[in-house]
Amino acid sequence: MTQADEFETEDDADAVKAPRRSIFRRQAAPLLPEAGAAGAPLTAVIAVMSFLAVLAMASLLIVNRAASEWTSSLRSEITVQVKGASADEIENGVEAALRILNETEGVIEATEKSRDETAALLEPWLGEGNAEAFLNIPAIIEVKAAPSLRDNLDLLRNRIVAAAPGASLDDHARWHDRLSGAARSGQAMAFGVFLLVMGAACAISIFAARAGLAANHEIVSVLHLVGATDGFIAAEVQRRFFILGLRGAVLGLFAALAALLLAGFAVRSSPAADNFLPSLRLGGWMILWLAAAPVATCLVTAVTARLTVLKTLSKQY
Amino acid sequence: MDAGKEIVRFEELGLSYEDAPETLSDVTMTLREGEFRFLTGPSGAGKTSLLKMIYLAHRPTRGRFFLFGENATEAPREALPALRRRIGVVFQEFRLLDHLTAYENVALPMKVAGVNQNQYREDVSELLNWVGLGDRMDAKPPTLSGGEKQRVALARALVSKPDLILADEPTGNVDPAMGERIMKLFVELNKLGAAVIVATHDLHLVQSIGKPVLRIADGKVTRSAGAGGAA
Repeated sequence: MTQADEFETEDDADAVKAPRRSIFRRQAAPLLPEAGAAGAPLTAVIAVMSFLAVLAMASLLIVNRAASEWTSSLRSEITVQVKGASADEIENGVEAALRILNETEGVIEATEKSRDETAALLEPWLGEGNAEAFLNIPAIIEVKAAPSLRDNLDLLRNRIVAAAPGASLDDHARWHDRLSGAARSGQAMAFGVFLLVMGAACAISIFAARAGLAANHEIVSVLHLVGATDGFIAAEVQRRFFILGLRGAVLGLFAALAALLLAGFAVRSSPAADNFLPSLRLGGWMILWLAAAPVATCLVTAVTARLTVLKTLSKQY
Repeated sequence: MDAGKEIVRFEELGLSYEDAPETLSDVTMTLREGEFRFLTGPSGAGKTSLLKMIYLAHRPTRGRFFLFGENATEAPREALPALRRRIGVVFQEFRLLDHLTAYENVALPMKVAGVNQNQYREDVSELLNWVGLGDRMDAKPPTLSGGEKQRVALARALVSKPDLILADEPTGNVDPAMGERIMKLFVELNKLGAAVIVATHDLHLVQSIGKPVLRIADGKVTRSAGAGGAA
């Protein structure tokens, strides 16, 4: 009689018989059970966190790109305004200023705006057709400048003012500074929102990891009993949270990309909004940055869960 | 005859839960390599508490406790898993993980010890065949009978070839015939060198096996019979 025969008893009649399978086809199950009903809400919350993280990251990138475009445009342009008591005086001033500008190294192009264009700029304040009737409208020269010109701007200003006393030169520095400040504020706000989302993901992960440990108390106890280290159990929890986090993060990423595409489409469909709002088009490198946001959410969730488990278990015997 | 190595040594050990009176008081005993002890006593006497201290689920509140020659009372938490891996424990309520198969339950101690599956696959299968469950490897505990569950629990306790086997009422949830077979298996394992402590109410089984007995009553080890024990 073999040992196996020794153990065969009537008690085995209660058992549900299952077919035998090869041990080589065995696939290891996770040591902690699948979260089941608790997994879906956690995945949903991580998806929402991921969605918000992607939007915060998108805001950061869009503000960054818009600020860069605006300030770059301002830095490459200079405006020369020529005033005068009469049209002749203005005309002479413009000629002198254009001559100096065209001789100056670093000036790419200097173009005088037509009187009609200049008058049109004043129409919102003076009404249609009134500007020329009441004013000697100053002439405006738009200058496209190379970056090197900025180093000699004071010299250029002095030369133009000497040749055309009614002229003034605006390098847009004030606007540049204001736009840069506004852009920095926008970027800081977007980054702050991103950090808040990561903080919320941390808090949720801590709560879920503690709840998971409490719910799986018996399993954790058996794992300790058979010699599992805290690190081993924490790695199991981390693996589970990473999988849940990855599912949620991918859902959140796609939802956020869809929202951004819809918003971009809505902006492009409205000419007024298209002129004033920054472009919402997503380039290749932007998609990569956006994909980093849910990855960060997922990693934050998994690592926080691991640290929470290690801390909680360290208080046990 | 030379005395074997010390496996367990309690010196004036006491255990209390929070502010309650001591569950175990002044327990002094030694278990050596290759020894077998029954632990008997009424319900609530402290048998399970004593075993829990040995398998490092509870830390004694006073006294000194040596396990495999190491001072377990002062051992840091990081040192406990290695000590636990040298102990195989069998419970009345089996304590199997229901979401794992019989094979995975038995393989658990090897997996947590970081042993490669290629190294333990055959051992686990052989052990399950040995306890008559070769055709139930993929079955999960909820589909197993009480006797089958206890055999899976036994296989799990033995897979890492422990130096010490502890059993807490191992025959409580199986029929008498299976209980007797399980008890004989403990005797066989003891002959192979493992120290064994079996806590049980079943005095008939205790008498039929004829091994030394430690009796616990009101938290004190009040009587021992046979060689080696002292209280």
